[in-house]
Amino acid sequence: MDTAALLLTLRLAGLTTLILLVLAVPLAYWLAFSRSRWKTPLQAVFALPIVLPPTVLGFYFLVALGPQTAFGRVVTHLLGHPLAFSFAGLVVGSIIYSFPFALQPLTSGFAATDRSLLEAAATLGSTPLDRMLRIVLPLSRGSLVSAAVLSFAHTVGEFGVVLMIGGNLPGVTRTLSISLYDQVQDFQYAQANWTALFLLGICLLALTLLYSRQRRSELV
Amino acid sequence: MSESENSPTTPSSLAPWLDLRVDHRFPGCHLQLECQLSAQRTVVFGPSGSGKSSLLRAIAGLLEPDDGRILLHGQAVWERRGRGQGHRRPTRVPAHKRRVGLVLQNPALFPHLRVRDNVAFALRGMAEDSRKEKVLELLRIVDALALVDRWPRDLSGGQQQRVAIARTLAASPAVLLLDEPFGALDAEASRQLSDNIYQWAKNQSVPVMMVTHNVEEAFSAGDEVLKMDCGRIAAQGPPHKVLSAERARLLGVLRACAD
Repeated sequence: MDTAALLLTLRLAGLTTLILLVLAVPLAYWLAFSRSRWKTPLQAVFALPIVLPPTVLGFYFLVALGPQTAFGRVVTHLLGHPLAFSFAGLVVGSIIYSFPFALQPLTSGFAATDRSLLEAAATLGSTPLDRMLRIVLPLSRGSLVSAAVLSFAHTVGEFGVVLMIGGNLPGVTRTLSISLYDQVQDFQYAQANWTALFLLGICLLALTLLYSRQRRSELV
Repeated sequence: MSESENSPTTPSSLAPWLDLRVDHRFPGCHLQLECQLSAQRTVVFGPSGSGKSSLLRAIAGLLEPDDGRILLHGQAVWERRGRGQGHRRPTRVPAHKRRVGLVLQNPALFPHLRVRDNVAFALRGMAEDSRKEKVLELLRIVDALALVDRWPRDLSGGQQQRVAIARTLAASPAVLLLDEPFGALDAEASRQLSDNIYQWAKNQSVPVMMVTHNVEEAFSAGDEVLKMDCGRIAAQGPPHKVLSAERARLLGVLRACAD
């Protein structure tokens, strides 16, 4: 197995999961409790990566960060290099592509919080932020784990977005799924088998973890 | 708040702690309420669906009426004018800033916190020793000292209600609203607990408003009664005047039983 690709994949998935949780928690909280009319259209936008072909996402990402757009020029100027075909670009792409996989379980988990608990906390002087930190988050631990596991597993399994945004640079943007593609192209079926088995194992482990948590919460 | 320093039996001589005019439509119900309350202990009496709980929720800031104003101790916490009455920006003090303690029939204890942490929920910022002491003091008031280390899931309904009351008192509310909080307790326990709460409220000069269906409770716990019917205040005054019909009916039943 391609060790460099394995380490890069784990680094990418870990970093993406961490950033996703930080970004998705406040947004999911807003989606779960807001009565804004913008909620539904925004929910549709955030869910787009579930149904959108990864190549479409990758294409727009390349266009947006290319030298043709002001945004792309600013990012290139700030970083000193274009975001496309770099590890940082891969992280940004993965965050966008895996966003709904973090957002959906968090939003459902937060929305399931018993409203009477939040009302009780409010009458005890607890601010909305305090209620999120002391009531909603502790009671949504299962959803946080689900969001983290799904984000991690989904990032590990990425192919289309990675190929479009990152290309295939060894040690920089070549992840395990790209490495598997290369191995098949080079007729290295034994190695490809190990890589595929590893990816399969990670996904199976993630789903087992997820369903065992769900089962435990059903039994409680 | 100097109300309770005077006699609680002469409510009309006190400044109102609540000045309310609320108009709110629910599906199948139109709440139209207007009242001023000065008594230290007010009982809200009326049949199910008459708007008692909605009144308490509006005061606590958990329900936003369509129109009206709510003043607590002379301060506007809610004000919104209906159509054709000007376009002044509505006043909206959120629930967490109103200092209104609300105990509902559903105790809503935080399931992930032990009893001691539930009661200490509003005591953040207090030194640990003082906080522990305060928690024990409040649990003593509601006769639930033995429950301090228990989890909410291990408590009976009545025990949960006691803890919920202690948790509310910990927040040092300026107004205390009780929505049938003794439903899971027997008559004797309920009387003892309400006595303790009223004593605490009197010591702290905190006006109390309690919803009840129970005529006996309304007589013993209310300096003033708001009798509600179909979303309106049907009568307001001392219990012997407002609840004379209910009292006569109850006495009739008791006499019939004795005969």
